[in-house]
Amino acid sequence: MSHKAVIPAALLFFFCSALLAEDRSDPVPVKVWHTFGAGSMEERLFTRAVDGFSAEHPGIAVQVVGIPYLQNLQQFINAAQAGVAPDLIRLSDTELGKIGHITVEGMPLLEDLRAHLTPVQKRTYLPDSLFAMRYGESLYALPASRSGMTLLYNADIFDGAGAAYPTDLWRTEDLLRAAKTLTTDEVTGLALPVRWSYWFVPFIAASGGRLLDDAGNPALSSPGTARAMEWVLDLARVHGVTGSVNSIEAMSTRFQTGRAAMVIDGSWNWDRYRESGIRLGQSLLPYDAETGERLAPMIGYFGWSVAKQSGVKAAAVKLARWLTSAAVQRDFAFGTYSLPTLIELMSDPEITGHPVLGGFIEQARFGTPTPTTRITAMLFEQLDTALALTYDGSMTAGAALEAADRELAKMLKW
Amino acid sequence: MHLAGFASLLALASIGAAGDLAPDVTADPAKHEYRRIHVDVRHAPGPETTAYQVWFSEQPFSSVADAELHSTVLVVDSVAGLARGTPVFDIQDCWLDGLPAYRDADDFPVVLRGTASWSCSLSGMAPGVDQWIAVLPVDRDGRSTSLLSPIQARTDVPDQRTPEPDTLHITLTLVSIVLAVIVLLSYLRRRDIRGGRVQSSRAYAYVVPALIGLATLTFYPITYGVWLAFTDASQSHLGQESWNGLANFATVGASPGVVRVFLFTMVWTFSNVAAHVALGLLLAHVLTRPGVRGRTAYRTILLLPWAIPGYISVLAWNGILQPDGLLNAILGTAADFTATPNAARLSVILVNVWLGIPFMMMVLSGALQGIGTDMFEAAELEGVSRWDQFVHLTLPNLKGILVPISLLGFIFTFNNFNTIYLMTRGNPYVGFGEPGATDTLVTYVFSVAFDYGQYGVAAAWSVAIFLLLVAFSYVYVKRSGVMEVAR
Repeated sequence: MSHKAVIPAALLFFFCSALLAEDRSDPVPVKVWHTFGAGSMEERLFTRAVDGFSAEHPGIAVQVVGIPYLQNLQQFINAAQAGVAPDLIRLSDTELGKIGHITVEGMPLLEDLRAHLTPVQKRTYLPDSLFAMRYGESLYALPASRSGMTLLYNADIFDGAGAAYPTDLWRTEDLLRAAKTLTTDEVTGLALPVRWSYWFVPFIAASGGRLLDDAGNPALSSPGTARAMEWVLDLARVHGVTGSVNSIEAMSTRFQTGRAAMVIDGSWNWDRYRESGIRLGQSLLPYDAETGERLAPMIGYFGWSVAKQSGVKAAAVKLARWLTSAAVQRDFAFGTYSLPTLIELMSDPEITGHPVLGGFIEQARFGTPTPTTRITAMLFEQLDTALALTYDGSMTAGAALEAADRELAKMLKW
Repeated sequence: MHLAGFASLLALASIGAAGDLAPDVTADPAKHEYRRIHVDVRHAPGPETTAYQVWFSEQPFSSVADAELHSTVLVVDSVAGLARGTPVFDIQDCWLDGLPAYRDADDFPVVLRGTASWSCSLSGMAPGVDQWIAVLPVDRDGRSTSLLSPIQARTDVPDQRTPEPDTLHITLTLVSIVLAVIVLLSYLRRRDIRGGRVQSSRAYAYVVPALIGLATLTFYPITYGVWLAFTDASQSHLGQESWNGLANFATVGASPGVVRVFLFTMVWTFSNVAAHVALGLLLAHVLTRPGVRGRTAYRTILLLPWAIPGYISVLAWNGILQPDGLLNAILGTAADFTATPNAARLSVILVNVWLGIPFMMMVLSGALQGIGTDMFEAAELEGVSRWDQFVHLTLPNLKGILVPISLLGFIFTFNNFNTIYLMTRGNPYVGFGEPGATDTLVTYVFSVAFDYGQYGVAAAWSVAIFLLLVAFSYVYVKRSGVMEVAR
């Protein structure tokens, strides 16, 4: 072939290639950010779910990016500000409360998913789960899992002391009595980080207090909450039954190493405790001795949110629905003890009758309902401050809670 | 069994069994929204009809087995006790006579029997795709009471996406900076050539990359930060900040705990720098003395805290100081070294002292080795004591390095973030809305920016800190006279 013929032939080849390439439809790329720990069971199950989705939807190319949990939110805000937000992101209800009010170029960060689902599809989720994914009028995520806390105990320590195991009928005075009995130089009766608001919340509703009033304004200050705060702090200050546990990690480590008889903890730590060789028992949190109400832990929710700036929302919603489907939620429930958010799974006897899940699901029925709002996201720090100042004697519980309400009201004006 | 599947089987089994006319369904494109198709339904429900089922599919269908159940609208004989309103979560928006439909306790839209028409906005419809929609009256057993008559509709209302952030001004600013640097250096080069200084003309080309890098990566962000300090920039409305004058600086001045956090920052900085220099100098002095055996090994060991990444060291110390940590295990106590304000302050200072000594020791070791030995030998012969040798010979000879190194140490320590953030996150709390007991200006600014999202106020804090450091550096250098020594 002469040189003169090579150039037209090459041009023709590239022209035809370009035409063919235009005909071939490229898969729709969907970028997903998740916060599962590297190498964790959660990550393995998530990867399996994404693989299943990719096999079922070859027209959608899922790109998975793992982001450390504590950096998740700020990185998402930064990315959104730069116009490079992921299409789908895993967020908790608290995180939704933190970013629900944020706008970029006048638009919210997240897509309101109400228009994306049919009423029948929306009704497949538990109402409280859907409620937790709501910010204002908008539905900012599809609920994928929830979690709460129960009373876990080390049966060997109870047996060693000849004490009766906790029961679902226990009252707070029973909890205190057992904690005192079981506390020794080596063992803490109840490992509880008393200055952490998350661990204090279960006592609030049971004592007749609440976090927010009906209008959604801060309502920490109440005689019931003040009484509960003094009672909880006295576990450490007066009775000395909580050990010197000052952090969540210290609490978990103490229980894991057999140096605490009881702990109020979530299902996420179940395997960690079981694998350490503890003969683990579980019961519902006790009733408040004065009000007769059961302690009501916060129920934390995680869901999948679609970025407002995503150009592939339909595909992102499809993946979000897959990741919140019954099959995936079952896998997560059995693999990680996270509680499902679908109505149909709540009537699944394998789940409700599961020795671990069953207890957490039962306790979740008594959970403290909290709307996903900006104020909810803010109140934990103020509650932490109130606990700290009451603990060190700077303020009384009542005064500290009033100050917390005032500070929250001030913060709302920002 | 799945709800839709169950309903479809029931409906399929009895289509046409009853004699109602099929509802007259029309789509109103003018009212369509993104992923929503608006339908108007005209139908007089028979006595057996208890609900309407809305079915849809992206393919034509003649049986509900080939479609997906979209929603249900209930038919009742009385709406007593029911309220009209928008549903929670907009599960289904429906209207009667132009007003929101009644809703039952489960939030289902409700139509009063005898109502001739109603309308709904059907969510979950793929945009730009033809949909076939059918409204099927059913009795209380779910059996259809009329024929299926799907209509074709589609919504082409486009998605509302966030506009691409406008970065043109940033691009133009960066280009302007680059051009300005090039123009400035070209002018200087030409002036040199005119002045006969031709040998240095190439030097400008060599410094261009560094100057451009410095201008775009350092000066521009600083300038941008200064500009932010005069705006109401906030996390809640990113990209829409507007000028608000000195309001942020007024907020900074009125911040509760501002004096306390400033004082602790000073205590933190001066105690750390003093300890770094004093202990670093002591160790350097000891290790440079003649006759010390195993000097290299000592230096290597003492350098370890600096060689290990700071965050690992700090986290390790955090663990050591826990009530269940190593220190308490050794002491046989269960003290919480970060629980009370003063204990926490002392803990973070001591950890940072431990982290900073190796650097000072290494720099001062080098400087000590550079001092000639003659004068020390002469001093020995004159019977001058070791202490006097140190005060009158060593220290004056180290002044040239001690002043800049302590100034740098001051700036590094003042701006140190990792130690406090990883040890205590500024805690323990000492008041509502105030900086924590161990917060310094820098950690507090981080909190203002990223916990509270007040970018403008945080920028104002940063400008204040910057001016403070500039002023301190100027006074320090001026008073110490080190530059005169250097000249």
